[in-house]
Amino acid sequence: MAASSSAGRILTLCKQFQNVFRISSAINTHYCTASLTKYQPRLYSPVSAVSQCRALHTTVSRRGLDQFFDHPENWGETNVKSGAPWTAKQLRTKSNEDLHKLWYVLLKEKNMLLTLEQEAKRQRLQMPSPERLKKVSRSMVRVETVVKERETALRLLQTGQEKGRPGAWRRNMFGYAYWYRYKEYAIPWYMNKRYKRKRFFTPKFVQPHIRLRLEKHLREKARSATLQRGTRSKLKEKFPQMKVSAS
Amino acid sequence: MPVSRLLYPLYQLGNPQLRIFRPNWFLTLVRPGTEQPPDTVQFRIPMEMTKCDIKNYLENIYNVPVGAVRTRIQMGSNKKRNHRNQKIKQPDYKVAYVQLAQGQTFNFPDIFPEKDKTPEEGSMEDMEQKFMEDERQRQKLDPRRGGVTEWFGL
Repeated sequence: MAASSSAGRILTLCKQFQNVFRISSAINTHYCTASLTKYQPRLYSPVSAVSQCRALHTTVSRRGLDQFFDHPENWGETNVKSGAPWTAKQLRTKSNEDLHKLWYVLLKEKNMLLTLEQEAKRQRLQMPSPERLKKVSRSMVRVETVVKERETALRLLQTGQEKGRPGAWRRNMFGYAYWYRYKEYAIPWYMNKRYKRKRFFTPKFVQPHIRLRLEKHLREKARSATLQRGTRSKLKEKFPQMKVSAS
Repeated sequence: MPVSRLLYPLYQLGNPQLRIFRPNWFLTLVRPGTEQPPDTVQFRIPMEMTKCDIKNYLENIYNVPVGAVRTRIQMGSNKKRNHRNQKIKQPDYKVAYVQLAQGQTFNFPDIFPEKDKTPEEGSMEDMEQKFMEDERQRQKLDPRRGGVTEWFGL
């Protein structure tokens, strides 16, 4: 149980633990599942001797459903300490395997927080430290962005395509050009009745409507420009020494 | 397979099994409203999940042996109204009843037990508590008046 003993030592908010998972302190002793035991000891080993050591809970939850709940010590507390969320900069230094594992750690943490939130609503009590939910969600979003970046880079190098899903610029019936993303069908497009009803060109009778729309847009733009000019000149009158921002 | 895709790839006979990496689905374990058998666990799940999805999710991520899964969709009420008399819709959600295999049972624990909050000496909470008690003592009337309010003269 080397992983759990060293994990117990980590449960402080020392700034030196930059490389440790900055999630709620309960999570490290809680999740001694197979995914965590494969972690390199580098991730958990403390940088220096820590004076405060949290009391270790040696009974590891073998039943998976206990992972939906916090550490039993935290039940009934009003505030549970948790660290800062992961930033994209930090995540870019991690390997793909680490990001994959981190995703599941964050997923389990979010499940736990959601169960806690629902139970608090049920018991009509306040959920302890609800900001953890936001932190976890933002971390997950950042993990996703980093993974997507890596995927696009790989795809560009291997195939030269930047988007995974093929698409094309098409014009719809109303005259708008948009990025149409292809969808998978079992039959070709000329046999697809519903697809053929969708027109990817602008009929002739729509041209007057487009012209009117354009006129409206230009009129609005001109109106907003004159309004801005008017307000600026009035301000200049009132405050002649005002410095106008170049916008 | 990316995470938040709205489109599943088309499946035809002989295609490889669909794999999902980094699933974007979150389960909420809830306390059952009505009495459930001891091996049943109740979850609130996203609408897009199916029974097979839940089984695989719990077995692979949580190592929970799943026997049977039954799902239903609970409609959120549209009856409440706001100060403008507009109807307010509570969101719909899917409920899953998961029966554990291998004879395991689950009892929803009490997550908010009563804890006596005796603050330690010298801490902030202790000082705050003492201060509040002192204030309350000051607000009380003179005990020699015997419960008679200040409104009565003398």
